Amino acid sequence: MIGAMRDWADRFLGRGSAAVTVPPLDGALKPNTRLDEAPKGIDADEPDDMVVVHGNTYCSAGNRLLQVDENGGATAVFDAPGTITALAASPEGKIAVASEPGGIHLVNGDGSAIAVAGEHDWQCITAMAFVDDATLLICVGSTRHGIGEWQRDLLSSGKSGEIWTLDTGTGKAARIAGGLAYPNGVVIEADGNIVISESWAKHLVRLTPAGKLVGQVMEDLPGYPARISRNARGGYWLSLFAPRSQLIEFVLREPQYRKAMMAEVAPEFWIAPALRSGLSFHEPMQGGALKQMGILKPWAPTRSYGLVIELTPDFEPVRSLHSRAGGKRHGITATVENGNWLWLASKGGNEIVAIELMRQGA
Amino acid sequence: MTPILELKNVSKEFHGVAALRGVDFTLMPGEVHSLLGENGAGKSTLTKIMAGVHEASGGEVLFDGQPRQFGSPAEALSNGIAMVFQETSLVPSLTVAQNIYLGNEKFLNRLRGIYIAAQQFLQSLSFGVDPTMYVSQLGAAQKQMVEIARAVHHKARVIIFDEPTATLTPEEKHHFFALIERLKKDGVSIIFISHALEEALAISDRITILRDGEHVVTDDASNFDRDKIIAAMVGRSLSEELYSREKSRTVRPYGRKVLSVQNLSMGKMVRNTSFSVYGGQITGIFGLIGSGRTETAKIISGVIKRDFFHGGEVRLEGKSVRYRVPRPAVKDGVVYVTEDRKIEGFFETKSIAENIYMNLLSADLNKHAVISHSEMMDLAKQWTSKLNVKAIDANARVIELSGGNQQKVVIARSLVQMPKLIIFDEPTRGVDVGAIAELHHVINELADAGLAVVVISSYLPEILNLADRILVSRQGRIVEEFSVEEATEEKIMYAAVH
Repeated sequence: MIGAMRDWADRFLGRGSAAVTVPPLDGALKPNTRLDEAPKGIDADEPDDMVVVHGNTYCSAGNRLLQVDENGGATAVFDAPGTITALAASPEGKIAVASEPGGIHLVNGDGSAIAVAGEHDWQCITAMAFVDDATLLICVGSTRHGIGEWQRDLLSSGKSGEIWTLDTGTGKAARIAGGLAYPNGVVIEADGNIVISESWAKHLVRLTPAGKLVGQVMEDLPGYPARISRNARGGYWLSLFAPRSQLIEFVLREPQYRKAMMAEVAPEFWIAPALRSGLSFHEPMQGGALKQMGILKPWAPTRSYGLVIELTPDFEPVRSLHSRAGGKRHGITATVENGNWLWLASKGGNEIVAIELMRQGA
Repeated sequence: MTPILELKNVSKEFHGVAALRGVDFTLMPGEVHSLLGENGAGKSTLTKIMAGVHEASGGEVLFDGQPRQFGSPAEALSNGIAMVFQETSLVPSLTVAQNIYLGNEKFLNRLRGIYIAAQQFLQSLSFGVDPTMYVSQLGAAQKQMVEIARAVHHKARVIIFDEPTATLTPEEKHHFFALIERLKKDGVSIIFISHALEEALAISDRITILRDGEHVVTDDASNFDRDKIIAAMVGRSLSEELYSREKSRTVRPYGRKVLSVQNLSMGKMVRNTSFSVYGGQITGIFGLIGSGRTETAKIISGVIKRDFFHGGEVRLEGKSVRYRVPRPAVKDGVVYVTEDRKIEGFFETKSIAENIYMNLLSADLNKHAVISHSEMMDLAKQWTSKLNVKAIDANARVIELSGGNQQKVVIARSLVQMPKLIIFDEPTRGVDVGAIAELHHVINELADAGLAVVVISSYLPEILNLADRILVSRQGRIVEEFSVEEATEEKIMYAAVH
């Protein structure tokens, strides 16, 4: 009763959980244009996830697994039966490829198939990681919506994500955690603990190997987190595929409005985060006068953004790479470091981008 | 030319302690003469003897070549010597116009006439102050303007300005310096006391430097530079130590995010501002007066409240907080070191020990259930030695200390509360260069110890040399962030103004 009264008061006064605020991009997250300044990358149809195996970089795009190199070359090494939704690399060099439909396939670096890992009807596999060579950790973003319906899952306050372990040898699977707000990235720490990114909760959480929640490692992120990968300095790269904005935060607090919007408006015009935006004048925007002399202001509120954050081993931000409003390399869904190069999948920009780390001061 | 004012071998003692020892000083007609020295050097005492506030213990004061000893400031003023005090001497319950005309009233005063005349007079000085406002409603900078206007209005032949620019914005300073030029052309002699050495170098004809109550040097301003002045003031070169960007200093990396201010609003002063503060580094906030820096800091620390409706959010270590009074903020480890130490920083008639112990009590960090005199004295001893507070002993009243030592006491009061986040608002305002170096050292040590430190300053060299990252505030919000490498005075000022 007291809680309900407090919620009502918060809603009336616009404070507490109803404050509708967005954390600032400052400090290590200070905006720059490093993503857009990078040389032209490799054109690809909605590149999504990336892995590094034996010094080679692989990226998924549609139903194809591409091997890419920094000279702009991309070779398709594997065709999955459906859209590839997640990749993982094992310590021995196997690549797990999850597709929708099609399940999980194990392939070698040259694309030769090894096996189909178990018969399970998971949908919306968003991220995977190998615990050891035989055990795969699987993030299911939502049990209610497919991978292409992630905006609907967010607007429906989706909290149906799950974490599974899969024995790739026997095909035996076990659910270790559930009720998650769209787990969309996973990394395994040296002590065996699991860190996952929960996109709709805008935070990273640590779980024990058995799936028990230990605590938050990063909270109140300025965007929706996606995949996490390790870097060469013991830290991590975290991709954020869309920004938060006060308009979207406000809409997320209005269930009736969201319900009507989803029923009556085409999905591309929903007030929701997006992988790319500015393609139609029908799109919703926050505030006015976003353009001056035909140029979109870089600080204009935007539904899409490109943001990658480098983290220390303690998950403290060190630096970030941005593609701001008006930029092209939005919707970064995965980042991997391979030698001197940082590879990024810009799903919104339909481009695989390579950035030389030495030039970024690494 | 006969000096308008001359002091020969002047001495002054307070309870047997010498504040001035055989000081000589001459002021020529139409001259701007800067009087410089560390806090406690004797500048204020010397000028107060000129203005009739104190009587000299020894020596001679000549005014227009005649020996004079003014018995009161009113007598000095009637003879043409006006003093603009550091602490304003205005009557808060009277309006600006009434304060300007105070002492110059006619037998019958028409209030409307006074307001019109005051309006015209203030406009002629380019001071944007409403003459109908009560002085109690004015900010520190506006009070200083009224104080200056009052001195000019009395048509004094000698005007003594004691730290007149400390609270003024660059624009207001510009008007003030133009006014000084105008007064000089009219033959008015000016004594200018300031800790801003660049200002003294820019506007003075001659400079006199005092140290420990003794005259060190008097020479033409053109024969001085910043280093020479500092060396004469403190007996050693501090310029490199204080404001040299050439020295190699390591910028501290971002630590954990301690504070996240999100879309914070408070009336017209703070407008939808957002920024973060990280542990283990110094976040500098620069902005002009009225840019909402102090108000933002006061909202964070619970001194004032944000907007009741949609006032935004303050998150301390990830937890949303809303302080209505400072006490819970202090308990959560947020402390604010005020810019106005004399009003808000300490109890001036209490001792150093009592002042420090009071803050320990307010944070509920005292060891004993009852007030312990020994704990109080131990604490005072520990902090006065740690911060090098120069006082006879811990029982000395804070009002008796110099500005730098008062500021150290204010900092000690805050540090005993074991903060996680400490916000310094103009930490070196009205503090001499020797104490500035010590205060900077203390602030750096706090950041090195892992505390999240915020330094709000209007002095660009201070921000540039102290901060690990620089935020610029304008019209109630943070508008720009600079790293130490990319920050220059021009860039910061441009962001603060445009």
